[in-house]
Amino acid sequence: MDQTIKQAGRPDSRAFPAARRKRFSSEGRWGLIMVSPYLIHFFVFVAGPLAASLYFSFSDYDMLNPPKWAGLDNFARMADDPLFWRSLWNTLYFAVLFVPLQTLLALVLAVVLNQKLKGLKWFRMAHFIPVISSWTVILYVADAIFNPRFGMANALLTRLGLDPQRWLQDEALAIPLLVIIAVWKGIGYIMVIYLAGLQSVPGDLYEAGEIDGAGALRKFKSITLPMISPTTFLVVIMSTISTFQAFEQIYVLTGRGDMGSAGGPNNAAMVLMLDLYREGFTYMRMGYASAIAWVLFMILFALTMLQLWGQKKWVHYD
Amino acid sequence: MAITWKKTMLAASLTLTLAATGCGSNNANNGASSEGASGSASAPASSSDTGASASASAASGEKVDILLGYYSDEKSDSKMKELIGQFTAAHPNINVKTQSAPYGQFYQKLDTQIAAGTAPDVWLSDGVYVMKYAERGAAKDLTDWIAKDLKADDYYGLEYNKDANGRYWGVPQGIQVGVLFYNKDMFDKAGVAYPTDDWTWEDLKTNAAKLTIDAKGMTEGESGFDKNNVNQFGLTFFSITEGWFSVLKSYGGGVLDETGKKSAIDSAQNKQAFEWIVDGMNRGIVTDPVDLKSFQSNTAVFPSGSAAMRIGLYARVLAANEAGLNYDVTVLPKGPDGKRVAPVIANSWVVNAKSSDAKAQAAWEWIKYWATQDDVQKQWAELGEAVPVKKSVANSDVFLKAGAQPANRQAFLDSLGFAQTLDVNAVWEEWVGKFNDNAQKAFLGDTSIDDALKSANTDVQKVLDDFYLNK
Repeated sequence: MDQTIKQAGRPDSRAFPAARRKRFSSEGRWGLIMVSPYLIHFFVFVAGPLAASLYFSFSDYDMLNPPKWAGLDNFARMADDPLFWRSLWNTLYFAVLFVPLQTLLALVLAVVLNQKLKGLKWFRMAHFIPVISSWTVILYVADAIFNPRFGMANALLTRLGLDPQRWLQDEALAIPLLVIIAVWKGIGYIMVIYLAGLQSVPGDLYEAGEIDGAGALRKFKSITLPMISPTTFLVVIMSTISTFQAFEQIYVLTGRGDMGSAGGPNNAAMVLMLDLYREGFTYMRMGYASAIAWVLFMILFALTMLQLWGQKKWVHYD
Repeated sequence: MAITWKKTMLAASLTLTLAATGCGSNNANNGASSEGASGSASAPASSSDTGASASASAASGEKVDILLGYYSDEKSDSKMKELIGQFTAAHPNINVKTQSAPYGQFYQKLDTQIAAGTAPDVWLSDGVYVMKYAERGAAKDLTDWIAKDLKADDYYGLEYNKDANGRYWGVPQGIQVGVLFYNKDMFDKAGVAYPTDDWTWEDLKTNAAKLTIDAKGMTEGESGFDKNNVNQFGLTFFSITEGWFSVLKSYGGGVLDETGKKSAIDSAQNKQAFEWIVDGMNRGIVTDPVDLKSFQSNTAVFPSGSAAMRIGLYARVLAANEAGLNYDVTVLPKGPDGKRVAPVIANSWVVNAKSSDAKAQAAWEWIKYWATQDDVQKQWAELGEAVPVKKSVANSDVFLKAGAQPANRQAFLDSLGFAQTLDVNAVWEEWVGKFNDNAQKAFLGDTSIDDALKSANTDVQKVLDDFYLNK
């Protein structure tokens, strides 16, 4: 494809006789026409905005007036913006808790639900319901448990003679609690991906293992885990990216629709996407927000590269 | 090598696309989820051409098309369209297109439209946002037109949109002023006399203590009273407008100096006011920030019957009436030296600075029509969302409504005599956020009042400098 276009576009190519050149160029033209819907979409809705946001990240832009070139000002500002560092730290903290916990629990759940159980479909469905629920619905369920005044968790603690907690309004508990809620909501989706992975493991491998006298645990460790390692790899990358993009859940759960109080007590749950959104759309510093977005991209990119590099050690393709 | 590079590109495009799409969908969902969370019913965003039929009949003179933007819910949307219909019938040469959306989405769209140069020629701005647009050059200076066409004495709140240089940036569409709401049933039950206009904040607290009841039905002073398990608060209180602003001001303190560019937070008066607030929250009499998070929204505490008193804007009458409360209102309490301050917000019509002269002139016709026509003012007042801007209408039975709750509607008008805007400037939302972050720490006892005020002073000054020193 590449070659075709290059050669078709060369004005005086002597490498091909005229007739052939013509055929190539008309083919190339048709090819271009065929892919043009995608290309137009790409340039207008992906490449264009990306280039614009890259330009904004180097400019002073309040959305109401044209952007003014500001060099590295936005990045310098980021370096001594305590809220940015706090958000970055919180995001990493969230990821470190969330990604392993969700991956591990989803795998356990998938293995359990991969057995021949009675009412299997119902169990699978029950775990998938939170996935398709909106975060607002999740808020109400979480609130029934963790509401500091009316919630079940505090009622239980009081019953046990313990002190009631502020839960999401507690600086130390905010992120761990958000992680637990996010795992509860997301686990069904990861479970389905794992189920597909588990079912693609050929049965004869297990049979061979059994003949060799392997027990259930041994089979899991030596057959299942290596065979689904590509799935695990996919899941880890997807979860990591989705953590760095966590916006709606923090906004809804800590702010309840109020941007001013989103981010939890003393910004204990302020994450990068929320910080970015507030800088751009509430405080009208779109240039700075774009700069944060690009730094966010660079971090994600580095993490993904790291995982790609690390996969050689533990992911098995055959 | 080539393979690694391809993989790198693949990884890059994967993360970018995911990042980009993720971001997009988050933004799109954000409005919807915030509404769901706050539980407000709102009309879908709509855009329609109400003026077309009215103006089609008269074809004389140069025709001007204007775009008029406002935020609304279902009820106010249909009323607004009705009023615009009446306007275009009276002004056949002006064709009005409207753009309306629920509050949150309206501003999201407006900001991007201003950036793209396609913003409405005239729009309804929340009072606290007028300066945000004015100081960034998006609003038109209306000083001359106001001087020429509006008699200042006839209206409430024209000066609320005046900046430090004496320029006017908007004309009030409706006024929100804060008063003290009190639940009469709760006062009767506790045998406490209703609040009077002699009350100081200390009086309020003394009485609020008697109205604070815990889960076992105990009040402060009775043995076994659990201040951490209060069912009925004496006073509900949150954020700036319906919270700390009027307390700070009536104690002689405040947030910004008169230039609006300097923070004046670290003062003895503010400390005294904070001591009043923190003590009230600590004793369980006043809702603290954690208490508030137990409710569906900050504003739900009073209508749901969980507080005996609140500081409330006029618009809160709607929810209180809907909840069927037996309540009334009075002016806010005085500070220790007798100073009294009510918070006020004038939601205002703003004209687009980039509109052509003809369009701006037509937009001004609409604003003039809104302010001067008694009939328009009356119809809007009927909706019950705001205090009418025109004094003659506000002081008539259209607004004072003898026999309707709350009985003492006069208190809203009286409060305008000592009302102050919320130190509004271009970065209002941002410094309020910084102030609240610090205040919350003091309110919850996580830090001392002195430290909270000092740190709030530094943070707010930083926000102000960031905007004003760079301009």
